[in-house]
Amino acid sequence: MHIAVCVKQVPDTTEVKINPETGTLIRAGVPSIINPYDHFALQTAIELKKAHGFRVTVISMGPPQAKSVVQMGLALGADDGVLLSDMAFAGSDTWATSYAIAKAVKKLGKVDIILAGMQAIDGDTAQTGPGVAQQLGIPQVTFCVKIDVDGRKIIARKLIDGGYEVVETRAPALFTMIMPPDYTSKYPAFLDVHASLRKPYHVWSASDIGAENHYLGLKGSPTQVARIYPPPQREKAAMTNGSSQEAVEKILDIMRKEHFIE
Amino acid sequence: MINVSKKCIGCNKCVPVCPFAAVQLIDKKAVINEACTLCGACVQVCPVQAIEITREEGATRDLTGHKGVWVFVELMENHDKTKHSHKIRPVTFELLSIGRKLADELGEELAAVLLTDKNAGFEKELGAYGADKVYLVENPELYEYNTDIFSTAIIALTHKHKPSAMLYGATIMGRDLAPRVASCLYTGLTADCTGLAIKDGLLLQSRPAFGGNIMADILSPKSRPQMSTVRPNVMKLAEPIYGKIAVTVREDIKIDKSLRRVKVLERKLIHDKGSVKIDEARIIVSGGRGMKTKEKFKQLEEICQLLGGVVGASRGAVDMGLKDKAHQVGQSGTTVSPKLYLAFGISGAVQHIVGMKASDIIVAVNKDPNAPIFNVAKHGVVGDAHEIVPKLIEALKKQK
Amino acid sequence: MPSMDAISRNLMLDSLRDYARKNIPYDFIREKDQANEFPDKVLKDMYDHSILGVHLLMVPEEYGGVSGGTYDIYRICEALAHIDLGIATAVFATFLGTDPLNVGGTEDQKKKWLQRIAKENLMVAYAATEPDAGSDLVNLRTRAEHVLKNGQLAGYRITGNKQWISNGGVADLYTVLALAPGGPCWFLVERNMEGFAPGKHEDKHGIRLSNTAALSLDNVYVPKENLIGEVEGQGLLQAQAVFGYTRVMVAAFGLGAGWEAVEQAVRYSQQRIQAGGPLSDKQGYTHKLIVPHAVKLEAARAYIEETSNRLDGGEHGLQTEGAIAKYSATEAGNKAADDAIQAFGGYGYTRDFPVEKIKRDIKITCIYEGTSEVLEMTIYRGRWQEHLKSRGRYYIDLADRMDALHDRNPEVGARAAGLALRALAAVMEECRVQKLTRHQAITFRLGRLISMCELAYVFAGASAKERYSESVRFDTQAWQAMSRIFARDAALQMATEGLAMVLGSVDTAGNIAAAVDMDGVQAVQKGMMADMDLVAVKLKQTFKAK
Repeated sequence: MHIAVCVKQVPDTTEVKINPETGTLIRAGVPSIINPYDHFALQTAIELKKAHGFRVTVISMGPPQAKSVVQMGLALGADDGVLLSDMAFAGSDTWATSYAIAKAVKKLGKVDIILAGMQAIDGDTAQTGPGVAQQLGIPQVTFCVKIDVDGRKIIARKLIDGGYEVVETRAPALFTMIMPPDYTSKYPAFLDVHASLRKPYHVWSASDIGAENHYLGLKGSPTQVARIYPPPQREKAAMTNGSSQEAVEKILDIMRKEHFIE
Repeated sequence: MINVSKKCIGCNKCVPVCPFAAVQLIDKKAVINEACTLCGACVQVCPVQAIEITREEGATRDLTGHKGVWVFVELMENHDKTKHSHKIRPVTFELLSIGRKLADELGEELAAVLLTDKNAGFEKELGAYGADKVYLVENPELYEYNTDIFSTAIIALTHKHKPSAMLYGATIMGRDLAPRVASCLYTGLTADCTGLAIKDGLLLQSRPAFGGNIMADILSPKSRPQMSTVRPNVMKLAEPIYGKIAVTVREDIKIDKSLRRVKVLERKLIHDKGSVKIDEARIIVSGGRGMKTKEKFKQLEEICQLLGGVVGASRGAVDMGLKDKAHQVGQSGTTVSPKLYLAFGISGAVQHIVGMKASDIIVAVNKDPNAPIFNVAKHGVVGDAHEIVPKLIEALKKQK
Repeated sequence: MPSMDAISRNLMLDSLRDYARKNIPYDFIREKDQANEFPDKVLKDMYDHSILGVHLLMVPEEYGGVSGGTYDIYRICEALAHIDLGIATAVFATFLGTDPLNVGGTEDQKKKWLQRIAKENLMVAYAATEPDAGSDLVNLRTRAEHVLKNGQLAGYRITGNKQWISNGGVADLYTVLALAPGGPCWFLVERNMEGFAPGKHEDKHGIRLSNTAALSLDNVYVPKENLIGEVEGQGLLQAQAVFGYTRVMVAAFGLGAGWEAVEQAVRYSQQRIQAGGPLSDKQGYTHKLIVPHAVKLEAARAYIEETSNRLDGGEHGLQTEGAIAKYSATEAGNKAADDAIQAFGGYGYTRDFPVEKIKRDIKITCIYEGTSEVLEMTIYRGRWQEHLKSRGRYYIDLADRMDALHDRNPEVGARAAGLALRALAAVMEECRVQKLTRHQAITFRLGRLISMCELAYVFAGASAKERYSESVRFDTQAWQAMSRIFARDAALQMATEGLAMVLGSVDTAGNIAAAVDMDGVQAVQKGMMADMDLVAVKLKQTFKAK
């Protein structure tokens, strides 16, 4: 079996800064990281590789420096890596991104399992995975915490609203992954990083994957960002200092006023 | 455009799955007739990828004739075994509430899309919350949610009725279904909208991005329907008008069993009261590191029982083992947006703040007057949670 | 070794930082610091090639390492210093201990030992210092005597005592400096060799997580293959050959630990409300306790980077540059940490906050691998030669380049840096004419002024670049403002101190007062306050309150 794992390089959103004057994002100096959900998908793929001897290909899309997340995948044990990098991809929304990734997966040939993070922390959309599955015409199972493979049969444990399900499908299929509570992320040892430089790595352009330009980038994206602005600042909290009894009275007061209690 | 290439082997898999009988087998090749709505059901089952749908370029698409705001009706299992097996998930009513406003602004109708194996008079509730019409697909295959079956049905309906906008709950189901539909329709989908409005006839969708550090307004000008998902508790619930009944429009869509490519082997829903879904809770009482011990943390559960809320915890509290991870609020936990968020002993690390700042009213209690939690709270109380919590419990008990 | 590609390096940095985040919380460090304990599990993991394998940076690829260059090692050392300087020192000791082998080892020796270090995760110690031989190794007492077998040299018996050896009590392998009949040389001594005994773990002021111990060698027999290079008398040369980059490593320690202290202070200052506003908005606080240190540390960074890149580009030695890098970064870091305590007020004086520990830790960087005073002398000596050789042109040429840079880019403080360099040239020339270098105090002080002026030169050049290196966390606006602040200060200090120094030692000063161009120096001070304000704001944006 051949697994393709989709990973994305994202700014560490906990470190993102806002220019208070212009309300715009300051990206300079903000570390780029592998999207944590993708990191888990990658680890899931590597574990399946270890258990079953599958081939694992890491795919990412982004500027040249996004090679980093592909190389991380290689260092953690993937066999080969692909970066979709082309100015034509710039500004792609989730539809155009899914289109490009689906094209790249087709170019890879026979792929049996596609793994991706449930969502990326910079956009939080959770749309690209299902989009890729749709464009490839294969089934999707989203919000998975565990994947088991038995021949062509794949069993996934996934979250649903209010609980979980165990579902079964057959390859080829796409799964989006979300970390279970006991998950710990793994990072490669120095030697593995060094060795990853010798693994096959390709940069593919839009024409390499046979993508049509009018489906890519801003032009191909159905959604358009009309405006970016800072989130509305809340007014400073009305502060209460005083005895604990006064504090309790104050809390009750607020709850009464807002009709949470009589 | 839909094309069947030479790769077609005449296996006949696509013929039964077409909801519109638009595929025939002629001379051992699939041939698609004018009944086709480009729903893609055939593409999904083709074993040799012989069928390909090419989408019109955005710029050249004809958008006239797309009218109406649709809301996807999400059903959930009913815990109350004396009643019908399913009930409508509350977020649906919130979507109808905002959908009503949008439809009025556009001067168009508001329709609910209900897919079920057995309707149980749901149109009454849907009407009460504002739906003019209910598109009802009743089919035994719709007994439980399935991505392929549900998306195929919705795609078919949108092709037929051409809505201008469609809203889904940003639940796990909604976030599974909506992108599948949007991808097939080549239309814009905006996730987790916190604001929806009409601007120059277009759906203006506002959403936070970059971990809540910025807001973005999104438009989908070139495609229809304009689709959005909305988190539970974000949109204000309208006062229901009981007696206002939606017109039910029955839609007969054929659903072939072979579309069910993912089968559910086991399902477990967590029913006990203490673990009500935190992301749908109206009131959350949350504790942080400052609660110090498990015993003290338990007192927050007591407040919850008195107020009818759900317990939340900061990552710090979870790391200390005061509460299990299912209750963690924040970037690595659950994003919540209750009406009331009571925070005890939570200093307010960024990663916690992004997960709860959408709450309507935040009341924070912390010893440190400079705790960042006060930057997002509406009301701040500088004081010792260990003293305040027991007194609050006492006072709430007296209230009862 | 040239340095590796940026992506690989940053992946390694990420792995290291992630390990620290998960396994080395401050509470753990604090506990070990108070107990004066070596965190053996942490170091085991760091040396485990399947977990991290930090030690592999010093091992060439062909022996199972990852072939780190100076730039890579600087980045890793900086990251280690952000975590804990004691842990950093434990890693550094292996780097240092591996050095003589890398520099002077024969092919067979490298193959055998470097492979073992890589594969067996060996922790190494570098044993040079003795009770009577610190910076000055002339008094080396440890002896290596020939052991003959059938009239042929078979090995050596080493006897002596070593002091303050990092990893002394915990290493698997020791590179020991001893005096053989043919002169000083390095020997590879294994822990289990007979007659070898490490002493007890020292009770130190700081870096208490680093194991420091005395070693006693009593007739320890080592085979002759364990003499590094297999030729006697090469020891001091082998040690000298790597001073350039071993000092870059310690410079990176000063930089990393110093920045950690400043970052903590910047974050704290945004939360601490005094007199109606956060401390981070008060000039009396930021412009004294925070901004000047951030500026000096970034100037040191620019210098460390340039020196690393030159070493990676194949230049050899660079002893003076290594000395300037270490001296500037560690002195800046030490003072930054001191003021970080001040910035935290009473809290800073408690062990609840890490700045107190950083301050104790960072002091060592001004002592080991050449004390600041030894370095002042080294820097003076190196550059005095250049001054003489060039007939006083050395710094004038640099000043000319700064003037040319100023014409291209007036935003980087090159004019001020040029003034500093011209004043330096004038003062050095006056010292030569008046024979003032007979005063040791003047030579050491020259060492300090030289460092400062060269930093201004390098910082202006670096901040004028179109793209900054991966380690710079500030935008062009901020880094250029820092460069301007540094250059103005350098010009002012050079002019006033240089002048005062000369005037304080002679009866009749020549034309020195005019030569330092005090009017020019004063003129470039314009804009200083606005730049300080700007940097204060940028620091706040970069290091948000947590």
